[in-house]
Amino acid sequence: MSKRKPWQTMLLYLFVFVVCIVIIYPYFVMFTTAAKTDAEMYAANMTILPLEWQWSNFINAWKAAPVFKYFLNSLLVAGGATLVAIGCGIPAAYAMARMRFKGKGFFLGAVIMSQMFSPVVLLVGIYKLMVGMHLSNSILGLVLLNAAFNQAFAIWLLRGTFLTISAEMEQAAKIDGCGTVQALLRVLLPVSAPGIVTALIFVFINAWNEYTIALTLIQDDLLKPITVGINIFYGYNFIQWQYLFATSLFATVPVIVLFLCIEKHLVAGLTAGGVKG
Amino acid sequence: MATLNLKSIKKIYPHSGQKASKKKAGAPEKKINLQVTEQGVVAVQEFNLDIADKEFIVLVGPSGCGKSTTLRMVAGLEEISEGELYIDGQLMNDVEPKNRDIAMVFQSYALYPHMTVYDNMAFPLKLRKMSKEEIDRRVKEAAEILDITQYLDRKPKALSGGQRQRVAIGRAIVREPKVLLMDEPLSNLDAKLRNQMRAEIIKLRQKINTTFMYVTHDQTEAMTLGDRIVIMKDGFIQQIGTPQEVFHHPANLFVAGFIGSPQMNFFNAKLSAEGGRYRVTVGSYTAELPEAKAKVLSGKGVGNQEVTLGVRPDHMVLANSGEAALVGRVDVSEMMGSAVHLHVTAEGRDVVVIVPTMDISGNYVESFSPGSEIRLTFGGSVCHLFDKEGRNLEF
Repeated sequence: MSKRKPWQTMLLYLFVFVVCIVIIYPYFVMFTTAAKTDAEMYAANMTILPLEWQWSNFINAWKAAPVFKYFLNSLLVAGGATLVAIGCGIPAAYAMARMRFKGKGFFLGAVIMSQMFSPVVLLVGIYKLMVGMHLSNSILGLVLLNAAFNQAFAIWLLRGTFLTISAEMEQAAKIDGCGTVQALLRVLLPVSAPGIVTALIFVFINAWNEYTIALTLIQDDLLKPITVGINIFYGYNFIQWQYLFATSLFATVPVIVLFLCIEKHLVAGLTAGGVKG
Repeated sequence: MATLNLKSIKKIYPHSGQKASKKKAGAPEKKINLQVTEQGVVAVQEFNLDIADKEFIVLVGPSGCGKSTTLRMVAGLEEISEGELYIDGQLMNDVEPKNRDIAMVFQSYALYPHMTVYDNMAFPLKLRKMSKEEIDRRVKEAAEILDITQYLDRKPKALSGGQRQRVAIGRAIVREPKVLLMDEPLSNLDAKLRNQMRAEIIKLRQKINTTFMYVTHDQTEAMTLGDRIVIMKDGFIQQIGTPQEVFHHPANLFVAGFIGSPQMNFFNAKLSAEGGRYRVTVGSYTAELPEAKAKVLSGKGVGNQEVTLGVRPDHMVLANSGEAALVGRVDVSEMMGSAVHLHVTAEGRDVVVIVPTMDISGNYVESFSPGSEIRLTFGGSVCHLFDKEGRNLEF
């Protein structure tokens, strides 16, 4: 590979810098706005940085609305959906990667096809179904729906990961004394950790960010996840921007923490899944 | 005691749904090498073999001949379509791999990357719920035998190919299995390491009391390791015998060509019988077969016929002047150190001749430049005769 010239390096850094600004700027505005006073928020000549830093907004946001409850709901929905999607995805992906049976190709096609429908298109049907199953206005309903909408992605990603792992490793485990399930649990899953973690993060983030279904299904204020609950600051006559942004910033924290914790696994998982499948 | 009996073993890989529907009933067809029937592709058939206790059996053959499939059927990793498999007299067809008391070494090592070398070797013992002390004793003993004690705390990724293969062998022998299966265990190693590991396996065999079944496509491995060799082609056994038997008495043209390096030279020849004496003629050169061979041929009622004559490269010698000889032209001369491999065109065939660079008196033998004429001779005792179907006439 030829060495990059200094001006090319400069140009690259400049480009990266601009991209970073574009990505970070909205968060920066959210942060500074969250720290502004009411008066400053609606002042005619508004500045980017607050004239008076109102740090108490970050605490008051939790008091002004049941934000903690919204957080808890979001955690339950995202965590539950992740568990269900990965829990069902692992055996399904294993079967798709390792077993030979009729209709396998059709099943894989059907799984990927289910991913083509936007939840909005299916909203009326989903609502009727959930009401019929007495799962509307419940956290469990949201868990199941989020798991279902992320199932296809989880299966395909995990299948890709399993395909990159030599089947001989499992066969060795079977000869060593494992049954199929034991070989899966003791050998295949630990080796597939990067792929599983990747699927886990994606499902969690998708479920954490989900808005439309939660807005349609949940009527009870105390059952709302953070994405829907945050609307409480968006009044008919008056919008509490500082609380809205403060809560939004809080809402991004779990996702960022998750990314930082497992960034290495994520990259490895994406590459592993990309080789085959 | 661990005997192994394979009786009329057959393996058919069923067609996938689409292919099966396209396939019409009728006579079996040949596809690539393997037979294709209505049921599917026949990977192995008519496989009959009795392996004695502590015997080292090598399955050898070209890619796709069914040797690995046979081994995997013994391991329980492939279902046996037809036939019976007995280990120590017990029918094993439907027994789970973990309950067959076998161990297997894979070509890809198949080590568990998330475990240390120690844990890899201890894994099968832990699954059998052995005591920690016993596990520790066995792992350390195996590590000692394989000279990998210093690597016990490492993960497989921190080991070289040769060391990984030792760990894989270690994992197999700690269990003290009845049968040790090895599927091309040296194929991923470089030539030098392969030779070294081959010697290690010979030593290992002397140290552990078990029956070995070893798969390879490398005839050198087969010849050096096996008590008996099973040569396979297109799913069928071609010959079973000791290394000497298959080398000196190949059952057919395939075995004759497959075993031995450089491979055996073949000529179109005429076999003539007269008064209990047999002569084989290639072009203008005639060799008389020795009495023993003639007796066998006469006993089988072999008469005058066109045959394929096989002579090994090291059995063809340079003819003295005036002596009757097969005349050829040198195409390529390969200097191998103690000998020269001459690639010669003779009687319209490509022939390889091994000529020592020095005779027994220490004199250098004349060199042959490409294009030069060469006169070759061989005795009747080194002739292998095959009929039109490729069968050895002496069998």
